[in-house]
This record gives sequence, C-alpha cells and structure tokens, in this order.
Amino acid sequence: MNSKAKIEALWIIGVLVVLVVAAGINIYTTESPNFTIATKETPSSPIPGNTTVVYVEGVQWSWLFTTYNSTGKHTTTDGVTLTVNHTYTFVITSIKGSHQFAVIHDLYIPQFDVQAYAVPGQNNTITFTPIHTGTFIIECVEYCGYLHYEMRGYLTVVA
Amino acid sequence: MSATMLLLEVSIILSFVFVILFFMYYKYLTVKTGMDNASDESDYYDSSSYFREKRKSNGAISTSAFVLTDSKSIGLRYLMTSLVFFFIAGTFGVIMRVSLIEPTPTLFAHREVLYDILTTEHSILMIYMWAVGSAFGLAYYLLPTFLKIKNDKYGNISSWAYWIYVLGGIFILLSRTSTRWYYYPPLALQLNPYGAGSMNWLAVIGMEMIFIGIAIASITVIRMIIFDRSQEVPMTKMPLFAWGVLFTLIMFLASAPFMMAALVMLFYDFFNPIFFTGVGGSSPISFAELFWVWGHPIVYIAILPQFGLIYEIIPKFTGKKIFSYSSGVLALGLLMPLSELVWGHHLLNSGLGLAWGLFFTTASFAVTIPSAITVFNYIATLWSAEKIRLTVPMLFVINGIFDFIIGGITGVMQSTLVINEEVHGTYWITGHFHFIFMGITTGIAFAAIYMIWPSLTSGRKYDQRLANWHLSLTAIGSFIMSIGWTVGGFLGMPRYVSGYFARFQVYQDIAIAGGVIIGIGQLFFLANLIKSLLEEPSTSPSNVLEEVYKLPSPGAVGGD
Ligand code: HEM
Ligand SMILES: [Cu+2]
Ligand SMILES: [Cu+2]
Repeated sequence: MNSKAKIEALWIIGVLVVLVVAAGINIYTTESPNFTIATKETPSSPIPGNTTVVYVEGVQWSWLFTTYNSTGKHTTTDGVTLTVNHTYTFVITSIKGSHQFAVIHDLYIPQFDVQAYAVPGQNNTITFTPIHTGTFIIECVEYCGYLHYEMRGYLTVVA
Repeated sequence: MSATMLLLEVSIILSFVFVILFFMYYKYLTVKTGMDNASDESDYYDSSSYFREKRKSNGAISTSAFVLTDSKSIGLRYLMTSLVFFFIAGTFGVIMRVSLIEPTPTLFAHREVLYDILTTEHSILMIYMWAVGSAFGLAYYLLPTFLKIKNDKYGNISSWAYWIYVLGGIFILLSRTSTRWYYYPPLALQLNPYGAGSMNWLAVIGMEMIFIGIAIASITVIRMIIFDRSQEVPMTKMPLFAWGVLFTLIMFLASAPFMMAALVMLFYDFFNPIFFTGVGGSSPISFAELFWVWGHPIVYIAILPQFGLIYEIIPKFTGKKIFSYSSGVLALGLLMPLSELVWGHHLLNSGLGLAWGLFFTTASFAVTIPSAITVFNYIATLWSAEKIRLTVPMLFVINGIFDFIIGGITGVMQSTLVINEEVHGTYWITGHFHFIFMGITTGIAFAAIYMIWPSLTSGRKYDQRLANWHLSLTAIGSFIMSIGWTVGGFLGMPRYVSGYFARFQVYQDIAIAGGVIIGIGQLFFLANLIKSLLEEPSTSPSNVLEEVYKLPSPGAVGGD
C-alpha cells in the first residue's frame, strides 16, 4: 500500500467510525423513555393503555383538541391544557373544512420535540409526558393553504 | 371550479399553444431555409458548421444558438435559459424574503397569497430550471470537447427536448401555483387562491413537460457519453465530469418515472378524485412517498455534475492531477444506489413508525460515505498542490467545499430520529439545503461560467473586480442567510410560512440581510456580462476549461 492509499484508507475508516457512532446514538436514543415518534394507528399498534387520550384534528386553518371525561366532551381550539408528569397520547388526524377534501397538516411542539402529521383518513398516534410547567408554542409545519401560518397557538402545562 | 370549466380552459389554452407553436415553426423554417441556402452557396454540407465557422468562435452567447442544433448551441440554449430563470426565481426569492420582515404579514397587500406563490415558484424554478438547466447546459457545452466527439446526430431530438422543457417552465411560471414544490394532494386539488392556486393544474402539466424534456435530453446525453465518445477517450479515462453527468442522468431515468406517474394520477384526480384524497381507502401519503422516491435523488442530481466539474476545475488552478481518479469515480457512482434508499427520511413524522424510521435514518448515514470520500479527494488534491492560483473560479470552488461540509454535517444531524423530530418542517432544513445549493450548485455553475467566459463572449475577458464582488457577496450573503435559518430552525422557526411568532423575528431579519446581500451580488454578475458584451474582443475565444482536451477543428463538432 502506498502512502496515498494509506491516507485515504485512514480517512475512510475515520468517517466510518464517526458514522457508526452516529448511527449507534440514533438507535440508542430511541430506547429512552422520553423518545416518541408518530406512528400510524393500526389494529397491531393500538393506543397504549394508562395514558390520557387527546384527539387532535387539523382543519383549514385551526387545531381542535378534544378530550372526553366524566363530564362529557371538551373541545378547545388552537390550544390545550395538560397536567405535568402525566402521560398523554395524541391521536392526530385531519378533517375537512369548507372544501371537499381535508388536507395534510403537521402538528409540531418544538419545546417538547414532538411532531406528527395530520393525514386525512389516517390516525397517527404519539405518546409523551410533559415534564415542565409553563406555556409552550404549537405550530403547523406542513403547508395547508392560505392561513397555514395562523394554525398555531399555545399549549399550557399546569401542575 | 367545475370539471367542465376546467376542460374548457384547458382546450382554449391548448389551441393558443398550438397557434404559437405553429408560428414558431414557420419562423424557424424561414430562418433555416435562408441559412441552408447561404451555406449551400459556400459549398458547406450543413448550415450549423458553416455558421459556426463564420462566427469564428466555438459557441458564443447569441440568438443563433436557438436555431442551430449542434451540441454547443444546445448547451448555450440551456445555459442562457437557466440564467434567465435564475434571475427570475432569484428576484422572487428576494421579494418573498423581504416580505417576512415583520411577524404579521403587512408589507404587501394580500401578502400571504403573494408569499405562497413566490416561494413555490422560487423553489420549482430554481431546482428544475436553474440547477438542472445549468447542469445540462454545461454538459452539452463541455462534453463534446472533453470526449472528443466527432459527430452528434441527435441534435434535432435534443432541440425538441429543450423546447418541451422550456415551455414546461413557462407554464409553471404562468400557473402562479402556491402548492410548494412537492404538490401534496389533497391541497393540490384545491384550485382556488386559498389552496393550491386557481391554475395549479397548469403547473402539473408544466411539471410533466419538464420531466419529459429532461428525460429525452438525458437519453441523448447518455448516448453521447457512451456511444459517441471518441475511441481516444476510453471509459476508464473519461473526465470525472462525464462520469458525474452519466451517473446523474441514469439516476434521473431510474427515479423520475415515480413522480411522472404520480403527476398523471394527480391530474386525473382533478376530474375524478380517487387516488390521493384520504377518502375510501386512498391515501395522500402514497403521493408523498412517490414524490420523495424521486425527490431525494433530485437533490443529488443537483450536485453530482457539479462534483464532477470541481474535479475538472481544481487541476487548472493547481497544475496537478487530482488525488485519486478511481475513488472519485467510485464515490460518484456509490451515490447512485444509496440515494434510492433514503427517501423515507423526508417523511419520518408522517406515521412511518419506529422500524422504518430506523431503516431510513441508518441508510442516510451510509449515503454520507461517498460525499465524505469526494470531499477528501478535493482537500487532498488542494493539500498536495505547491501553489494554488486563487482567482474567482477557484475561490467559488473553495467556498463550495466549505459550504458543502456545513450542509453535510447538518444533513447527518437531521438524519437522527430525535433531531429530525425537532427540525423537520423548520428553517433548519432550508438552511441545510441552501448551504449546498448556494455553495455547490450555484457556485460551481458560476465558476464554470467564468472559466468559459472568453468563449461565451467571443473573446472578451470578465472584469476581475466585478467578479470578486459577485463572489464575495454571494458567499457572505448565503452564509449569513443560511446560518440565520439554521439557528432559528433549531429553535422551532417553521419554514414556508408568510407570518410567524414574534420571537423568531431576529432570525428572519438576519436571513433577510443575507438574502438582500446575495441579490445585490448577482447584479455584479449582470454588470460584468453587460460590460463584456459592450467591449471589443481582446483575447482568443478559447477557454482554459476545455484547453487540455484539445479542441477539435471548428465545425467537426456537430452536424445535424
Ligand atoms: C451529506 C448527506 C446528506 C444527508 C445525510 C441529508 C439528509 C437529509 C434529510 C434527513 C433531510 C430531510 C429533512 C426533513 O425534512 O426532515 C434532507 C432534506 C433535504 N436535503 Fe439533504 N442530506 C444530505 C445531502 C444533501 C445534498 C447533497 C443536497 C443537495 C442539494 C440535499 C438537499 C436537501 C433538500 C433540498 C432537502 C429538503 C427537501 C424539502 O423538504 O423541501 N441534501 N436532507
Ligand atoms: Cu399548515
Ligand atoms: Cu433526502
């Protein structure tokens, strides 16, 4: 092996090491209890038990959050209040507004590292536990028409 | 809008198009006959070589390129067209950027709609008309010299492909679509100014025409590289630019059919919505998947030819051969299969779930290996050079490598599931690809244009000072803009919005500063071009980029 090939081999090994480590971190972090990812709801991937279910509907152009409890059905628009250290499952979909069809939206809570598409005809679930109290922003990050940028609001976490 | 109205509009527009086409054909025939007669009189077999020789330069910017059908002329057409679209789409970009100066849309009346149209047009035109167009331009222009091609018989076909492609681009421009470059239905089906734009159907037709044009051109260029290459240039010694173009076009032909089929289905949905509505078992996500099977390879299509060009450019400034030819080819080639496997990283939060998420993210790490080998090759070549001439084209190359490293690192970062959930749909992504599009796609195209400047302008030199301004403002402006986006995006600043939470204003304003600087920089390029064309020729119309490959005698390239 001449010195040229040696340098190149060293470089490739170095890059491979970095990438394998990165890929390892990628897999490792998904094991953490704080990790969550949007998953299409199917009979084989049911909603986890012992979590509070919040039904989220994207509509042109607002977010509707619905919960059910003993007093009935409660819906809020562009915002929702959660309890700290309590586990929630968001069931997210898209419903039609004035137009014939519903469109794709994407619910995003930056400070929680939570994101899931709202897809017409499909339920996506995402499970997470807020661990800080306060007010956090929510946004739609998939373009959905004229007032897309106003599909945003605040999420409040109380003790 | 009812289907009947839509059909009426389509048919009226079609008949207009036919009338215009007929007129153009008539004009073309008249000019062509005149040229044939003139060349006949001077005992030339074909008019292309006669006129080229008469002009005494091998392919300068002039309108005759639109009539002649040799490779150089076709290349010039693509180059000129792509530059025009670069300035149109660039103007759109600067306007929409400035319109974001305040968190609530107030600067222009009805700004939301304006913003949505500008941003969609900007992205579609920049990708398909500038990135792809300039790559085709340089391929048609340079490859005949690089590969010592004696005859290219497919000029007429290339010419048709070009016209279909340009007409497609014009349709996109006229359609005032606002659906974003990925056309996701069911939004794409909302034909009104508050959805996808009233004439989004025209954008779908235009897009399909662009694809057809590129597909035909790809086949002729692949043919040129593989079959028309001179025996003196064996495949194993082909310039790396030719390899880059070859791999790119094969990748195009392998991935584009997914999008072409999806567009046809989408068009059908305008009349009879059955494929992508989310009703009755159909899923809009299936369109998104078809799009990204194409959409990921396209981003590499916008850099592979330029990667190849960097290999051609560097030796001209260092006087040394590149570090390793074989690993250069290997890396460019490896990108082809790997690029086909990672499309899911654009849809990680769409409900794919953990298993597929891990598959696509792990594949995305693998796709970085060839890029790393390529960058190493450049750096090693520069490292081992005793002396580097740091003129404008070389500085564009160095800036491009620098930007690509940043873009590559952000690329790897967003390929982890945790970070992707944080940055998907934000300006971080916009920053990631603008580093690469500005540094490599745009920077290298300009580097090449500066290098072939004397040929383009039949023997004029560019003004060094103006070119330096162009380079510095482009490099500094795009760095400021992309850094502002990257940081803001990481904090959750959503992309593709006409208004935003006030907390993000500082990042938006940084990006506006950067965007305006880039815009001003491009004016120096225009000034340079105008200045050159007003001057008298002062040098030979040959150029350094093509020099080593020894130009064939004038007229030998081409025929029709
Ligand atoms: C170095 C290897 C690269 C990796 C690992 C990588 C990774 C990624 C990932 C994971 C995304 C999806 C982000 C998201 O929306 O969540 C993305 C988006 C993108 N990448 Fe890269 N990338 C790389 C190189 C490139 C190159 C060379 C280009 C060419 C210019 C490019 C252009 C883009 C574009 C245009 C998008 C955004 C598409 C859109 O959503 O509109 N990337 N990249
Ligand atoms: Cu939205
Ligand atoms: Cu990709």
